[in-house]
Amino acid sequence: MTAQLAHPTRDTATDFVRLDRVTKIFAPEVPLTRRIAGLFGAEIDLRILRAVDAVDLTIARGEALGLVGESGCGKSTLGRVLAGIHRADEGTVEIDGAAVADRDGRKLTTRVQTVFQDPFASLDPRMRIGETIAEGPIAHGLVRRREAAATVADWLRRVGLDPAFAKSFPHQFSGGQRQRVAIARALAMKPDVIVCDEPVASLDVSIQAQIVNLFLKLRRDLGLTLLFISHDLGVVRHLCDRVAIMYLGRIVEVGPAAAIWRNPRHPYTRALLDSVPKLRLAGAPTPVIPISGELPSPLSPPKGCHFHPRCPIAVERCRTVRPPLVRTVDGRDVACHLADAPTPAPL
Amino acid sequence: MNPPVLSVRGLTTRFHNRAGAVTVVDGVSFDLARGEVIGLVGESGSGKSMTGFSLIGLIDAPGRIEAGSSVKLEGRELIGLPDRDLRHLRGRRISMVFQDPMMTLNPVLTIGEQMRLVLAAHGRIDRASARARSAEVLGRVGIPDPTARLDAYPHQFSGGMRQRVAIAIAILNRPAVIVADEPTTALDVSIQAQILAEMRRLVAEDGTAMIWISHDLATVSSIADRLCVMYAGRIVEHGPATEVLGAPRHPYTRGLLDSLPSQSEPGADLRQIPGATPSLAALPPGCPFEPRCGRADPVCTTRPEDVEAPPRGWRCHHPLGETAA
Ligand SMILES: Nc1ncnc2c1ncn2[C@@H]1O[C@H](COP(=O)(O)OP(=O)(O)OP(=O)(O)O)[C@@H](O)[C@H]1O
Ligand SMILES: Nc1ncnc2c1ncn2[C@@H]1O[C@H](COP(=O)(O)OP(=O)(O)OP(=O)(O)O)[C@@H](O)[C@H]1O
Ligand code: SF4
Ligand code: SF4
Ligand SMILES: [Mg+2]
Ligand SMILES: [Mg+2]
Repeated sequence: MTAQLAHPTRDTATDFVRLDRVTKIFAPEVPLTRRIAGLFGAEIDLRILRAVDAVDLTIARGEALGLVGESGCGKSTLGRVLAGIHRADEGTVEIDGAAVADRDGRKLTTRVQTVFQDPFASLDPRMRIGETIAEGPIAHGLVRRREAAATVADWLRRVGLDPAFAKSFPHQFSGGQRQRVAIARALAMKPDVIVCDEPVASLDVSIQAQIVNLFLKLRRDLGLTLLFISHDLGVVRHLCDRVAIMYLGRIVEVGPAAAIWRNPRHPYTRALLDSVPKLRLAGAPTPVIPISGELPSPLSPPKGCHFHPRCPIAVERCRTVRPPLVRTVDGRDVACHLADAPTPAPL
Repeated sequence: MNPPVLSVRGLTTRFHNRAGAVTVVDGVSFDLARGEVIGLVGESGSGKSMTGFSLIGLIDAPGRIEAGSSVKLEGRELIGLPDRDLRHLRGRRISMVFQDPMMTLNPVLTIGEQMRLVLAAHGRIDRASARARSAEVLGRVGIPDPTARLDAYPHQFSGGMRQRVAIAIAILNRPAVIVADEPTTALDVSIQAQILAEMRRLVAEDGTAMIWISHDLATVSSIADRLCVMYAGRIVEHGPATEVLGAPRHPYTRGLLDSLPSQSEPGADLRQIPGATPSLAALPPGCPFEPRCGRADPVCTTRPEDVEAPPRGWRCHHPLGETAA
């Protein structure tokens, strides 16, 4: 690891992707009748949902950043803001110094593309695979129509599919093959950054291994920059250089994957890693240690540190003061009042 | 040795479609002891769920459990039992937990009412006792404030809580055997960990035996005493969980293990099993794994027999050595 400065200056190599204080709010849609009732004093739930809450994040050029956390913590929303699909309500998203969306939330760049969990839902069933892959690049003038067939064949080959598949329809493919097509379609746009949202979640172990290997190869061949969203911590550990852990809309820890697995510093990271079942090859099972309590409602998150009701080492300050994400000595950012305290007893 | 609570012999289930018969469960045999957990693992389509459904008699036409199959629950043969008797046993002596809890739960009834019906189906019980017993069981699976939650509807629970309610219903009548089909697959790791811990406690406290179906080897290894590995409808390897995972005899088990990220250095290519799972309608005549197997030779075009070497067993002409790791 290169030494990290306390206040990294803007460097488009290390801050190739840069999110500054990004917030995404979902406001409830109140039907007209309820609003009228509200005028007469009826109670309406107007709580807003801060799906992404003032997130700072950077991804270096060519780096794979993993994003993990419990269901509903805001991973997909953050990924969509990065990809310019959702408009950020506050803050900015830049790739190589240029904004991904304009003030009105219109996507400005083709430099970021997405691959989603369910390739069947994201591929048009009536379009041949070749048309699906060529559509975007032609529309954006990246390839000419008469070059399209060659481009399609090239990308199919690169993702490990027979170019003859260009004439086939999505239903003729297995889940793993469809995911390859979705990846080829994203790559054909020649993006610098790919946001992958649970790209291996619906796949069998053996197929999952094939897709993980494909991502490894594409990173080597094309120097892709990846935001890799997954709840499979094993896959994230394997594929990603750095990992960000999210809890109720906020990043609680981010740093090199190896360091986080060796010594998680945020109590939530520690609890999350402990709750993953370990493959048992001998002896008694390592007990999985569940995190106590449930994920609180994102509509009324706890004050102060969001994790305090479930945190075994919480102190009074945690109930009132939000801990900022602070750079620690080993190139890691941690949002915990006690992050610099001596390592607490195993939870 | 106590007699097993569940004894399965030559369980064979076929679908008789117009195109021909497809064997989805092919001669499955095993014994399950009281308080024991058997993990059933294998790739998608290998027949894990069909085995579970066959055990509790939930196979509908054109599917059929074939003659010669035997499933004995506490000494009593279930195959061929009239539907009425089967229904009576289901939920009382053997019950099932599904990946989707809504397969168990009725969206229009309160949790309390559903639990009362399950209790009442298996013996007279007054409302007050039903409520008390239901609340007690909800508490055991980790639902906070269980008495108040009896009046809630399924949609008022989160996915993880709903799965716990489904588990509560499955254990309500203290069955001898629970078949759990991917019960935590759709859930977060943290909720999965809670449910794994609770299920393990239940097994230990009540002596309930369990069949835990999952494609996730790590999860299974954290709960199962023994493992059965399925491929193309057959059990290709079985034995104590740590022995099967620590020193697999079947090349398919080895392949499954090797493809896990935890078995490779971070960033290194994963060792993938070549090819894809076979179509059950067009299996090779010999070993079904032959087209994907690195150890295959001409002998493998004949069907390998079961080798029983208690406590282990496998179906392979060229099993991996005892010391292979
Ligand atoms: N379009 C929307 N309108 C209103 N609320 C939304 C919308 N999309 C997401 N949310 C809410 O925002 C929060 C974050 O959702 P998000 O999908 O980003 O979570 P996630 O971390 O991706 O979860 P999962 O692991 O289940 O995919 C959740 O509480 C969700 O209910
Ligand atoms: N009606 C049917 N006719 C023919 N084959 C069927 C029918 N229903 C299911 N099958 C086949 O039965 C086989 C076993 O399916 P099963 O659902 O038991 O697999 P599984 O191991 O549980 O897989 P998964 O991990 O995806 O749940 C599959 O190959 C499936 O294609
Ligand atoms: S800030 Fe306090 S409550 Fe939050 S994780 Fe740290 S110690 Fe726990
Ligand atoms: S019987 Fe032959 S093909 Fe089948 S698993 Fe054994 S070695 Fe491989
Ligand atoms: Mg998501
Ligand atoms: Mg299944």
